[in-house]
Amino acid sequence: MKLPSALSSPAARCLVAVAAAALVATGCSSGTSGKGGSTGGTLVVGYTADPNTLEPWKATQFQAVHLLEQMYSTLTELDADLDVKPGLAEKWQYSDGNKTLTLTLRKDVKFHDGKAFTSADVKSSIERIQQPETAAVAAATVKSIQSVEAPDPQTAVLHLAAPDAGLLAGLATTNLVMLSKDDTPATIGQKPNGTGAFTFDSRTAGQSVKLTANTDYWGGKPKVTGLEFRIIPDQTSVVAALQSGNVQFATLDDPLVAKSAEGSGLTVTKTPSLSYHVLQLNARKAPLDKRDVRLAISCAIDRKQVLDTAALGAGEVTGPITSPAYKSDPNARPCPTRDVAKAKQLLAGAGFANGVTIPVIVSQGEYATSVNEAQNLQAQLKEAGINLDLQTLESGAYVDKWVAADFSAAVALNGGRPDPDGMYGRYFPSTGNLNKVAGYSSPELDKLFAEGKATTDPAQRKEIYAQASRHLEDNAVWVWLFSSYGYTATTQGVSGFTPLANGSLQSLREISLQ
Amino acid sequence: MTAAVAGQQVPVAAPPARTAAWRRLLRSPAGLGGAVLVALVVAAAGAALLGLTPYDPIAQHPQARLQQPSADYWFGTDQFGRDVFSRCLAGVANSLRVAVVAVFLSALVGTTAGVCAGFYGGKVRGPVLAVTNVLFAFPPLLLALTLAATFTRNWLTIAIAIAIVYVPIFVRVSRGPVLSLRETDFIKAARVLGIPTWRILLRHLLPNLAAIVIVQVTLSLSWAVLTEAALSFLGLGSPPPAPSLGSMVFDAKILAGTAWWNLAAPGAVIVVFVVGLNLLGDGLRDALDPRNGRNA
Amino acid sequence: MRSIARHPLFRRLVETALTLFGVAVLVFTTLRAIPGDEITATLGTEAAGLSPEQQESLRAYYGLDQPLVLQFFSWLGNVLTGNLGFSRRAGASVVEMTASALPVTLELAVLATIVGLLIGVPLAMLSASRPNGIRDGFGQLVGLAALSVPNFLLGAALLTLISKYAHYNPNAQGFAHLTQDPLLNLQQMLFPALVLGFGLAAPIMRTARSALLEVQTQDFVRTARGKGVAPWRLRVRHVLHNALNPIVTMAGIQFGYLLGGAVVVEQIFSVPGIGRQVLAGIQQKEYAVVQSTVLVIATTFVVVNLLTDLLYRVIDPRVRAA
Repeated sequence: MKLPSALSSPAARCLVAVAAAALVATGCSSGTSGKGGSTGGTLVVGYTADPNTLEPWKATQFQAVHLLEQMYSTLTELDADLDVKPGLAEKWQYSDGNKTLTLTLRKDVKFHDGKAFTSADVKSSIERIQQPETAAVAAATVKSIQSVEAPDPQTAVLHLAAPDAGLLAGLATTNLVMLSKDDTPATIGQKPNGTGAFTFDSRTAGQSVKLTANTDYWGGKPKVTGLEFRIIPDQTSVVAALQSGNVQFATLDDPLVAKSAEGSGLTVTKTPSLSYHVLQLNARKAPLDKRDVRLAISCAIDRKQVLDTAALGAGEVTGPITSPAYKSDPNARPCPTRDVAKAKQLLAGAGFANGVTIPVIVSQGEYATSVNEAQNLQAQLKEAGINLDLQTLESGAYVDKWVAADFSAAVALNGGRPDPDGMYGRYFPSTGNLNKVAGYSSPELDKLFAEGKATTDPAQRKEIYAQASRHLEDNAVWVWLFSSYGYTATTQGVSGFTPLANGSLQSLREISLQ
Repeated sequence: MTAAVAGQQVPVAAPPARTAAWRRLLRSPAGLGGAVLVALVVAAAGAALLGLTPYDPIAQHPQARLQQPSADYWFGTDQFGRDVFSRCLAGVANSLRVAVVAVFLSALVGTTAGVCAGFYGGKVRGPVLAVTNVLFAFPPLLLALTLAATFTRNWLTIAIAIAIVYVPIFVRVSRGPVLSLRETDFIKAARVLGIPTWRILLRHLLPNLAAIVIVQVTLSLSWAVLTEAALSFLGLGSPPPAPSLGSMVFDAKILAGTAWWNLAAPGAVIVVFVVGLNLLGDGLRDALDPRNGRNA
Repeated sequence: MRSIARHPLFRRLVETALTLFGVAVLVFTTLRAIPGDEITATLGTEAAGLSPEQQESLRAYYGLDQPLVLQFFSWLGNVLTGNLGFSRRAGASVVEMTASALPVTLELAVLATIVGLLIGVPLAMLSASRPNGIRDGFGQLVGLAALSVPNFLLGAALLTLISKYAHYNPNAQGFAHLTQDPLLNLQQMLFPALVLGFGLAAPIMRTARSALLEVQTQDFVRTARGKGVAPWRLRVRHVLHNALNPIVTMAGIQFGYLLGGAVVVEQIFSVPGIGRQVLAGIQQKEYAVVQSTVLVIATTFVVVNLLTDLLYRVIDPRVRAA
């Protein structure tokens, strides 16, 4: 009863006035420009971070890749089933026992600066990618190319050292886009110049990157007049921005965020993703050098439980190969279901009847579910006498250790590729440039991967990679857990987008707005 | 012997004053409320440390994921089926541990440096003040952020990062009084009597500093709890699976729409915790301030 | 003419320069101690596939092949000539980035301080008008809440509420600088300033309350009251006016802290301020960006402290004489 009297005092009135003023300010302003005033044919894409580079040959951060694939084109592209389709190369022909690949290039393709795209650009691009000074991350993908010839502007001939069945799919990666022979990676890092559907307009650090539709695009003019990648650092704030209609499109990688977006009237599409969540084991570090210790770990884990707890069930349990055409049977494992007794038995057989402790590195901030996965793996393995010692690292520290293969085990989310050779050819053959990180090699895997690369018949390749996949599971080289979904959230009126399993946003050029 | 005599000659920090301060503290509503809340929080932390939580805070029960608060799970369960109430208790213990160690370290280092700088002046003062100025000019949250990113992450390194940020506050808080105390008659007398410097510092200066440092410690504890939470919110806090209040809020941020109790419970516990520490700090300040019998 | 070296202003300048040098050393060393560098931050785990030759060329590209001491002094030399470095992520120089981000944070800090004063001072007057009474209890309770609710909780809750239920989220529109679109800018600053200002209100309220209580008991106030000055007029014109000093000091201190301390709120509300510039720089391991930006913040902090001192003298003529 004393409150009313307090309110009657001048001081209290002053307070009320301040509060009211704040409310009025809110009310007025929401009336003037509450709903997305900035559309007008421009699609606003919500982004959680600045693209960290504009140099396509060096870009691995997914924001950078998604931006660059709008501005540049590759020789080949992938369709919705991840099969190779023509890109800048209209058609191609193998000859000389699959050691020569002749590409016929599209006519009348222009760079954004107006110069024509010709085979000289292809030759110069591939040669520069191969030079170590360029430090191109996909240099290994074109390692089999010995030389490039440009007999006429519309023809590029690739001479290979040995047949390479994964090359055409490999050429579709954004890290192998074609640059003009007159540009250097450094100049386009400042002023992008590609052959893609959108041209670079402007960017402001920490705020946005703006692109304009390229009316001369070889694949047909995009339906929207421009794209704006707007940086909203917090994922939940991105959803808030979609809800308020200020942003019309966003990719979400966190299933929990996607769930909250679904519940609020947004259209959320999920696509099975090629990338896979895995517990990487380093078979070159004791006690993981013993196959039975690795198998014990593999047997003691219910993958579905990891998926359900860490990612709220948003994904599919997977074996090593995730691409639709070569998919591994997820249940073809020594222990198809969780078997703690078997795990203990294997462990005892390996001389660790009293249990074993394995340090495992986990990144925090690199991707959403890592820490959750680690916690569930730790809880499950504990029941089998395997003690995971979690080392949670800031992403820089994690990457440092991962790159140096300085770990016994690592909870990781690795990117997948449509072709199994592209996906694992760098990890498991003893000559692969990531073999150090894979922590395992065997003569049998070397042989299988060499065969897979040299074979062009799809049915035969399928059989070869099925064998490789079985070898990986039988030896518990790593423990493959699940592949998650990629999510795209859109507001009402956005249509025409086709998500791809490799996470590509190339079909932004087909989106239309109402 | 002489020291004791010298000490008795000056009417400061006599034991009876302390019991009176306690009584004053518990008589003021703020002090009493703060003491009760902090006692509650410490009891919760103690229960967690003794393993008296209803469930194991890190045990996962996948069948009981994301349960609403109920008789079985007072604060509901999280996405692993872990009991949120048990985790809150364990989180309190963890946050308290980080905060106490951080504040203890910064109080120890900061007060020592401040006392030395104030008492000796000259050669000691220069470097101490220079370091203090540098730490003050460095944005605190950003300093904690870079430090937390630097170390391998565990609760102790988080505590050290927070401690470094708070050191200059204790330097400033303790140096001022020492400067004025140094000039008082009883310290001068003690010096003339030839009492070793460390004894003067320990027996005469420290008791007089105690009040101001204790108040600062209590208030800093609440900041430390919030800083640990903010670091966790930016993804640089205490590592899992041991829960801390901040990391619980961080993890639950995206569950806010679907399983609100995961966010609300640790959020509320942080607020209660910090309110308690602030009230206690206010109460202590009033109670220990010799000028203050009543209000303000 | 006595030596200029003894002049207090000169000594203060030297002290400031030393402090800033210390900040430079501290930020440089802690940054190098953080695992990872710009190569791994840019390439992520793909950096594992680089050949030794590729790595070498990248180290030269990012300027990481120089000895540390050389890196430090060449950076410092550049800073002294006004070149704060270049961000590959932003495609802009740190000078350009800072010229865009610092005013944003300064504006946010000013608005937050105003909000803090608007909440804190009336609250303190309410409290002080009847110490230990129910008004005081209410005032103290609000102050306590402001002190105890973490700003990230308040910010996240506010943002979710307004965008989910009111479908109003000015911060999701492209950020507008004050000079570009003042109306939109103020809308975008409103919620972050409210959140930060609410937190600021607590220390301001506490300082103001005890200052007011102290002034109230002084003779001139009794005299004025005796002369029949209206109570409300008395509180504002006489009491508040004379209690301004500590309030301004506290507001100044808090303002200084906001320069780096607003980062969490900037992150939640997508405000492209200076705190986020540092955070993004740390994440991307852009050493020059972080070093220079922290130095800018520290300099601003020092300057703000100086200005507060000056303001103090303007308000209180007694100090001017001293």
